[in-house]
Amino acid sequence: MNKIFILIALATLSVLSACKKYLDVVPDNIATINDAFSSRVQTEKSLFTCYSYLPTDGDPQSNPAMLAGDEMWLYPDIRISQIINPTGWFVALGEQGISSPLLNFWDGENSGKPLYRGIRDCNTFIERIDGVRDMNSYEKGKWKGEAMFLNAYYHFYLLRMYGPIPIVDKNLPIAATPEQVRVSRRPVDECVNYIVKTLDDAALLLPEKVDLPIEEQGRITKTIALAIKARVLLMAASPLFNGNPDFANLKNKDGEQLFNQAFDPKKWERALAATKEAITMAEGNGAKLFEFVSNATTGNLSAETTRLLSIQGAVTERWNVETIWGLTNSNMNTLQSAAMARVRNNSSLLSCLAPTNRMAELFYTKNGVPITQDKTWNYANKNNLRTGTVAEKYYIKQAYQTAELNFDREPRFYADMAFDGGMWYGIGKYADGGDIWYVQGKLGQAAGRVDIRNFSSTGYWPKKLVSYLCTQTEGTEFTTQRYAWPAMRLGDLYLMYAEAANEVNGPTADTYKYLDLIRTRAGLQGVVASWSNFSTDPSKPTSKEGLRSIIRQERMIELAFEGSRFWDLRRWKEAPNVYNGVIKGWDINQRDAVNYYREKVLANQSFGLKDYFWPIKDNNILVNGNLVQNLGW
Amino acid sequence: MRKRNLPITRVFLCLLTSVFVLTWPSLMNASSAQANTFRYEKNYSIGFNAEQILKVFSKIENLTGLQFSYSPADLEGIKPITLVEKRRNVFELLKKLSALTGLKFSLSRGLIAVLPNDAPPIVYKKVQEPIKPVKIDTLIQGQVTDSLKKGLPGVSIYVKGKTNIGTSTDLNGRYSIKVPKNSILIFTMVGYKAVERNTNQSVIDVMLREDDSNLDEVQVVAFGTQKKESVVGAITTIKPSELKVPSSNLTTALQGRIAGMVAYQRSGEPGQDNADFFIRGAATFGYKKDPLILIDGLELTATDLARLQPNDIASFSVLKDATSAAVYGARGANGVILVTTKRGSEGKAEINFQYDHSMSEPTKNLALADPITYMRLNNEAITTRDPLGTQMYSQNKIDGTVEGKDRFMYPATDWMDMLLKRRTFNSKANLSIKGGGKVATYYVTGTLNQDNGILKVDKRNNFNSNIDLKSTSIRSNVDINITNSTQMAVRLYGNFDDYTGPINGGSAVYNQIMNSNPVLFAPYYTPDEANTFTNHILFGNALGNPSDPASLKINPYADMVKGYKDYSRSLMLAQIEIKQDLSGLLLNGLRARLMASTNRRSYFDVSRAYNPFFYTLPDAGVVNNIYALQELNPTTGTETLNYQEGPKQVSTEAYMEFALNYDKDFGGKHNISGMMVGILRNSLNANAGSLQSSLPFRNIGFSGRFSYGYDSRYQAEFNFGYNGSERFYLDKRFGFFPSAGVAWNVSNEPFWKNFRKVVSNLKFRATYGLIGNDAIGSATDRFFYLSEIALNDGNKGATFGLNFDRNRPGYTVNRFENTEITWEKSRRINLGMDARIKDFNVIVDYSRDHRTNILMDRAFIPTTMGLSAAVRANVGAMKSEAFEASVDYNKSFSNSAWFSLRANFTYATNRYEIYEEPDYPEAYRSLVGSPTSQQRGYIAERLFVDAQDINNSPIQTFGPYMAGDIKYRDINGDGRISAADQVALGYPTNPEIVYGFGFSAGYKSFDLSAFFSGLGRTSFWIDNGNTNPFVNGQRALLKVYADNHWSEDNRNLYALWPRLSTTVIANNNQRSTWFMRNGALMRLKQVELGYTMSNKAANKLFMKRVRMYVTGSNLLTFSKFSLWEPELGGNAFNYPLQRVFNLGINATF
Repeated sequence: MNKIFILIALATLSVLSACKKYLDVVPDNIATINDAFSSRVQTEKSLFTCYSYLPTDGDPQSNPAMLAGDEMWLYPDIRISQIINPTGWFVALGEQGISSPLLNFWDGENSGKPLYRGIRDCNTFIERIDGVRDMNSYEKGKWKGEAMFLNAYYHFYLLRMYGPIPIVDKNLPIAATPEQVRVSRRPVDECVNYIVKTLDDAALLLPEKVDLPIEEQGRITKTIALAIKARVLLMAASPLFNGNPDFANLKNKDGEQLFNQAFDPKKWERALAATKEAITMAEGNGAKLFEFVSNATTGNLSAETTRLLSIQGAVTERWNVETIWGLTNSNMNTLQSAAMARVRNNSSLLSCLAPTNRMAELFYTKNGVPITQDKTWNYANKNNLRTGTVAEKYYIKQAYQTAELNFDREPRFYADMAFDGGMWYGIGKYADGGDIWYVQGKLGQAAGRVDIRNFSSTGYWPKKLVSYLCTQTEGTEFTTQRYAWPAMRLGDLYLMYAEAANEVNGPTADTYKYLDLIRTRAGLQGVVASWSNFSTDPSKPTSKEGLRSIIRQERMIELAFEGSRFWDLRRWKEAPNVYNGVIKGWDINQRDAVNYYREKVLANQSFGLKDYFWPIKDNNILVNGNLVQNLGW
Repeated sequence: MRKRNLPITRVFLCLLTSVFVLTWPSLMNASSAQANTFRYEKNYSIGFNAEQILKVFSKIENLTGLQFSYSPADLEGIKPITLVEKRRNVFELLKKLSALTGLKFSLSRGLIAVLPNDAPPIVYKKVQEPIKPVKIDTLIQGQVTDSLKKGLPGVSIYVKGKTNIGTSTDLNGRYSIKVPKNSILIFTMVGYKAVERNTNQSVIDVMLREDDSNLDEVQVVAFGTQKKESVVGAITTIKPSELKVPSSNLTTALQGRIAGMVAYQRSGEPGQDNADFFIRGAATFGYKKDPLILIDGLELTATDLARLQPNDIASFSVLKDATSAAVYGARGANGVILVTTKRGSEGKAEINFQYDHSMSEPTKNLALADPITYMRLNNEAITTRDPLGTQMYSQNKIDGTVEGKDRFMYPATDWMDMLLKRRTFNSKANLSIKGGGKVATYYVTGTLNQDNGILKVDKRNNFNSNIDLKSTSIRSNVDINITNSTQMAVRLYGNFDDYTGPINGGSAVYNQIMNSNPVLFAPYYTPDEANTFTNHILFGNALGNPSDPASLKINPYADMVKGYKDYSRSLMLAQIEIKQDLSGLLLNGLRARLMASTNRRSYFDVSRAYNPFFYTLPDAGVVNNIYALQELNPTTGTETLNYQEGPKQVSTEAYMEFALNYDKDFGGKHNISGMMVGILRNSLNANAGSLQSSLPFRNIGFSGRFSYGYDSRYQAEFNFGYNGSERFYLDKRFGFFPSAGVAWNVSNEPFWKNFRKVVSNLKFRATYGLIGNDAIGSATDRFFYLSEIALNDGNKGATFGLNFDRNRPGYTVNRFENTEITWEKSRRINLGMDARIKDFNVIVDYSRDHRTNILMDRAFIPTTMGLSAAVRANVGAMKSEAFEASVDYNKSFSNSAWFSLRANFTYATNRYEIYEEPDYPEAYRSLVGSPTSQQRGYIAERLFVDAQDINNSPIQTFGPYMAGDIKYRDINGDGRISAADQVALGYPTNPEIVYGFGFSAGYKSFDLSAFFSGLGRTSFWIDNGNTNPFVNGQRALLKVYADNHWSEDNRNLYALWPRLSTTVIANNNQRSTWFMRNGALMRLKQVELGYTMSNKAANKLFMKRVRMYVTGSNLLTFSKFSLWEPELGGNAFNYPLQRVFNLGINATF
């Protein structure tokens, strides 16, 4: 018995001595935030973390500018059979709300990215990069510049979407008091100045071109920083942000006015200077408008097809000379699958992005003027049927009936849009002028509606977004050609320049210069010549107002489906004039041309003051008493 | 394949029987040998210091194994005894004791009869008594009275050791009996304490005292036991027999049985039917609200409790207040359930066998709409929302189905009828053996449960995929007396579940049936011409999307017969306990105890199935009456079985506990007891999933209890727990949780003497204390003081490079470090009263729990902070209150009849006291002041009349809506229905009232009992989303929806179901009063009729006792809600609760 007692005593003693350390179960090397900056390898991952918040603008499911406007439409039964996430389209249908905003880039919900988290991670990166030991100062500076650019870009993205926003230039500590964290929105000008200053600071640290394209292509350069700066300043000079009385009532709780109320022409000058600087930098590094050159796959191409591929290639040609900032984070598979028409029976293609008839009418006639103002083009007959002949053989299938609207249009129309009877170069067939694909979109035909999904609800497809190297088989397979989504290309900068130059100097040779460069690539005559020869309003390009409207239409055509029109209409304050109307498409549920080519109303859109800006999720207003909601929400 | 099921039942029973047969004779020999060879010559050492005579007796009883027989009256006035003797035999000891007390002792056949001073002298003999032939020569007469000197009728009187000599008292309590000389008479009656008397007088008058269980009964408390009269806390104990229900799940018995426990059951699926239970409601809004469950001192899960056999339970107690649970420190804040299992007892082996066979069926069968209505309303659901929508079913199809044409061309399948049996049969066997001798005692038990599914077995198939769940458990509790003062207990327990059944379990089959279209296709087709030689079943199906072969619908028949799953779950537990009495060694009254235990859990499953080939009859063929099948998945179907391994889980746990107990009486009136305990716990999980979760889970604790009692009248107690948890930062790691309580036994006061006739027992109790809870945040939040960061998060990466091939992941901060986070604290007060009034026992308790330091997200952190994880702090607080009462009544009648009643009632409510939330402009949005499980939602006014009505009403922001959809009230009057219009709705979802009442009665060999239980003050919501018909073109249509919905023709603004739709309409799927229902219900939980065979008959069958019984459970339900079983809550398509009829037999050998 004594033995047992001793045993118990021993056990007790050993237990007691072990107690102290018993609860120390955590080994020393558990990862903390310090480990994210412990070495160059880890720090690179942290930089990529900053990049990971970049909105995937090449994805129609998350880029508001693709489906939340009037450029492209979806099929009505998408709520039942959702093959792509239609969040943006619900905005277009007027279903935006404050309790759970769609495409919420503030909180990162409903297909939006959490940009304020991105800003915090960028700030953390900027704070900590100097402490990394195994990196040289050039690379530290370069990476810091990238993080600074991203910080600025995320602020810009929010500013464009939400209007004036709280600026987070420094991270608040986790233990910050309620007073500290209740930040308020800053006036537009302050936001713009902060973004521009940060971009300028970043530009000083960034290289003009990436050092090692094989690994770094797609990362931020000085050229990109300057181009985005130009875009920011152009936006700030535009009517929405430059002396806008409509938003006079948007004030902070303390009465601080968030929108400047006086128009300031200097803002246009600043934008013009920034655009000029960006163009100079880009061209100095080899950027020019993309022109397609025949290759081994295509063989010798006709001038017409080459022209179409030049226009398309500015977007879809991987790392083409025109690309200034190509986004490498978008899954280009969804976009191209959704944009491609079925040229044969393929059940896997999403094939659901449908440009509206309004977009079809936007493009110029073959004479380079609007279809409503061309002396030679009868707008009233646009829905009449006409049969394709050999003259249009590169654009429209010979002996195929389609609407007048699809005839005698500028090359950009044929490059950007696919339609019933339209030719589609590529997609596996490359014998130009020979047996190439054409689209047949009526009910029962390959591209027509076969189910409640996978079809174009208007009879048009945004061909521009599809690389000619994509393929599809009879059955279920298809391939897409990945390209970097052009978040900024030289053509955009040219048009920005024309816009700013017209505002500053009016119609001058300098103003026409970049505009005409764009038109030349599109196979059109210069703006003055085109108007004077074919327009019912021949003197239009000679007045500042006339030229302004021409530049705006040119911009909407050139950048169609690239996510520009949505924001441009807002900053020009043109959105109410355009969006308050009906969305129309062809009657795609018909089997014959006569019935198919009747315009059918798909929806009635409306746009009010509140729609200029996104609603801030109501919970944010509740949590932060200093935050004011946007007007109308 | 058919032979795959080994007849485990038989094997198990054979094994058990053979063990039993092999060991029985030897055990019997061992025990009887010990009884016969009592060694009078053996020497003992004793030491008493001012010890009460009863203590002395019990000590000697423990030492020698002899038993004292005495009349308490004879012991009155005996002074405390001080006596130290070494190495004396029992006769010498008794002589000494006799000299000290003046009592006389008579030793006979293991019994020491205690006689008063004036009895004739006794000569002790050193030789073993010869067993003499018995002569009946003495007539004894007398009267038996109760404590009020009233004659007691019906008292049984018999000679000890000779049950064949006996009688009973008449109406006046008088008796006469002839007995052998020097025998002992035993007087017994239900409800009274038995008395033994020596037959050395010819007139023996006896007074029987009521069996006041409160006085002497021992109460199981934390880490030990206490005399019931010295308990100050709120502890409810129920008899294990009350937990006997005809179910393999013990937790289903808890509802309404225990005052202070809130329990309800939400599913009836075997294996998934655990009831949810809380002690005094849920007192926190943290993640852990359920009580600590300790089985033989080990922390185990609710499932382990569910698998416990009531037959094997020795005691079942619930610790509810601060003093009783404080010693569990960090783990006791939500109450404690203490269960101990039975132990062996000295004597020859006693075998108990119980067999139950039960039939179970749903308490209520769901009524579905007929196929024709289904098709018509499905078409209506499409066109009523979109007039241009394509109708799902052609008129031809509907007409054909109405006419009852070919069942393959016009299928109309009643899936429920096709796949499910109306009822199923389950059985359960339990065998236990207990016994032992001086050296060791044992309790060995085994149980086999066989639960069968309700699936029909299909003859077309080549294997049986019905559910077959066998749950086996084996327990062995062995107590070994190593020395006179050292005991060791070894407990081994294994619990094993073996399952074969449908791949996703019975509930999934049930769910699939409810999500299947009755008319879209036939369950299977007979071969057409092209398939004459096809070797597989031609299952029916349809494509949701004609161009997508993966869009097949659910064919529950195919899913059921395509394969089966095996799973195996086990728990192995080993426990060793050593008890050392240190009385002789260190300090009298001091005992030490060391317990160590470990367990292993494991689980794995394997599925085997083929991919069914699906076929359909194309519409075109049907129209033209051509029977030609179309293959839907020619490439993905298989004829041979595929094999898939499921998750494999292994975990282990080790536990150690060391305790010192001290208990001593001083000077007759003072009692001091103390207890100190230290615990260590360590568990590891092999399937942790993350680094931080993979680290061992540990607890360390040191607790103590000190109590002082004076004269059985006043009792004071102090408890503390000092606990460590690895979850907190160094300086917050240990917490000290003290508590104190007092009790006053009023009925033991001299002044109460006159009231004792009516109120024989009255006691007031009060306790107050602090308890901690470290189970805060979530179970995966292991170390609040460390940040948690994922350094290779693929979602945070980026891709660059000319060919998009430079890809790196990024980091995500999942938790920010916070060294301030600490224990959740519960300050708890309990006021209680125990009373015995006439034949009624009443216990009443009121308690209040003030929970503070509840961990919650800081509400003021805005999104602009850019944090990827919530910032949290111990800021929440809530208050809960509970009132509970229980009453029981026991009465025996002279004509061998007895009757007992019992009832209990619990009202437990809680409310948020501090809850960080945004500054709502509308005061009613704040949760503060509301019960935690009270739901928030909209007030539904009615259904919209028409478009005009919609235009004139506030805008509703949940998505499209139209006439016939629900119209909500704009509470804040801002012209729009949004989150700001949500108000508190109805009662909490956790019931605030739980009650139960029942009676038991017996007459001669029969006994009958019935028990009702009920829930009150609770609401639930019909689950709009999950019962919405036609969803995905296949969900079933409830008949009640078919009969009562809004339609264009019948614009009933208050219809049960709004305008039909084939998708879930977000506007209607908001939580609102429209679908709110009162969850109050009362059910006839159990009725049991038993028959106990007479001893004679039983003996003929070589049994001691045999009882047969029939039991019915969940027989009747009373509720305002009649659409389906109300306890299921909102989702009618859940596996239904079961009504069970059971036939059982319990035999003791």
